[in-house]
Amino acid sequence: MSLFTMDNVRKTFAHGEVKEEILKGINISLSQGKITALTGASGSGKSTLLTIAAGLQTASDGQISFEQQELTSMRSEELRQIRAKDFGFIFQFAHLVPFLTVQEQLDLMLDTAESPLSKQTQKKEIKQVLELVGMWKRKDAYPASLSGGEKQRVAVARAIIHSPKVLFADEPTASLDSKRSQEVMKLIQNLSKERHITVLMVTHDMDMLDFVDEVIEMRDGKIVDKKNT
Amino acid sequence: MKMAWKEMKKNKLRYTILGLIVFLISLLTFIISGLANGLSQDNASLIKNLPDGTFYLEEEADETYSFSSLSDQQQQEIAEEQPATAFFSIQMGNFIDSSDKQRSVAYVSASDSTYFQEVHSGEVILDASLEEEGIAVGDEITNEQWDQSLTVAGFVDQEKYSHSPAAFINPNDFQALFHTDTMQIAFIADSAIKNTDDAPVFKGLQAFSNNEFLNTIPSYSAEQMSLNMIVIFLLVISGMLFAIFFYMINVQKLGIYGILKAIGVKTGKLFQMMWAQMFIISVVSLILSISISQAFQLLAPNGMPFHLTWETTGLLSLVFVIIGFIGATLSGIQIKRVEPIQAIQQGEM
Repeated sequence: MSLFTMDNVRKTFAHGEVKEEILKGINISLSQGKITALTGASGSGKSTLLTIAAGLQTASDGQISFEQQELTSMRSEELRQIRAKDFGFIFQFAHLVPFLTVQEQLDLMLDTAESPLSKQTQKKEIKQVLELVGMWKRKDAYPASLSGGEKQRVAVARAIIHSPKVLFADEPTASLDSKRSQEVMKLIQNLSKERHITVLMVTHDMDMLDFVDEVIEMRDGKIVDKKNT
Repeated sequence: MKMAWKEMKKNKLRYTILGLIVFLISLLTFIISGLANGLSQDNASLIKNLPDGTFYLEEEADETYSFSSLSDQQQQEIAEEQPATAFFSIQMGNFIDSSDKQRSVAYVSASDSTYFQEVHSGEVILDASLEEEGIAVGDEITNEQWDQSLTVAGFVDQEKYSHSPAAFINPNDFQALFHTDTMQIAFIADSAIKNTDDAPVFKGLQAFSNNEFLNTIPSYSAEQMSLNMIVIFLLVISGMLFAIFFYMINVQKLGIYGILKAIGVKTGKLFQMMWAQMFIISVVSLILSISISQAFQLLAPNGMPFHLTWETTGLLSLVFVIIGFIGATLSGIQIKRVEPIQAIQQGEM
């Protein structure tokens, strides 16, 4: 059974009296523990689709379901709770909080997700995740002192610390060189397999498709191809 | 709270500057408030020391105590209805002390010793400020227009009127010195009113509450209004300062707020962070300015009318915190409006 589905999702933007349809009836089904990549040219609507799926903006029409819950009809507070507890986000840029250390970024995420773990267990979990992304030694560093690759690894750690069910990643390797990109993708792949996290990822980098289970290609707001890798 | 503190620690200079400005404004507010209070005491402690009650002046006196004259008959009628009424007169004047120095005083004579000093004939009780200027018990004071002298029998603390020390004298001496046999003012304390809940009404007399009576003192209301207006302006400025400062900080942080909202942080938590910062800055600044203003009270020259009570300090501090809270909250409306998607699309902060 699908964990996450999008059914006939449409998104229209109005520029004055001119209306532009960015998404034209999207149907997607994500299975648990699988990595799905959205590819396509710039302006094909893949990033808009990702942000709508993640509940960061609303669809103009269609239905989005997560664990049999209808997200499109939820109140904003209910949606926020799902974003905090069940979803994880990796953005194109790391977007770390500049006044928190690496360790505190994860602490904040656990706090936001209202983690049921005890403080002691949370500390252990933070250590384990930071070791997993190779950032434990830099746990007390502030974002300003981290390299681009390190920041993105912390962003990955922040996205999975609360064990989300779905991870949304918008070009997570766009700001990294090819070596770092491979590292981060390998990391996401391992985490997805170890923690059974479903991943929906936008990428324009064809080298990254080696790490995913399914590729969805988009063009002009429509899905034009779906294939398993 | 933890996030708020972490951010302040990371941006020490930014928040120190705000704290410093709040400290300076609050210190100035406390100092001006202390001066307003001090001048008020200097101007009217004789009246302010009386309990809550009602003052009566002759209606024809046009709210000016020196034009008021309560005849014996009027006094008798009032005393019959309200036996606890105190009648008193105030006369601005001067005397020459034993070192031939001329001193300005407010002569006060009262029919009652409950609220005013009881003085024997031929004696005078002076405000303690004159003791500090060298007058001692037993000194003789006189005046070129008097045919008698008065002996200083003692001193009392904080009894001033119209910026002059009070000199309590016996009604007989008052009559002899100022050639009048009437009293100017009647006063009934609320606690002493008989047979009625409200202040009694007497024909031909105008009633005043304590505050209304204080405002009949020449210069009192003008002096207090000017100083209180400055205090109000400073409080408003501090509120605007918080609003503008947090507005600027929030504009810079909209990206962070957007990302935090995207990952699920509650908008309320972001507001709490801002309020916590406002509260920490206010409390630290207020503790500093309260300490310095209280030290100033101890060290201020004797001649400076400065009086800052803990009650006034506490009230002003509370107003500062409330105004800071309102200012910060108004500026925080942007936090509520920021959309996560905007922050994500903006790129790295």
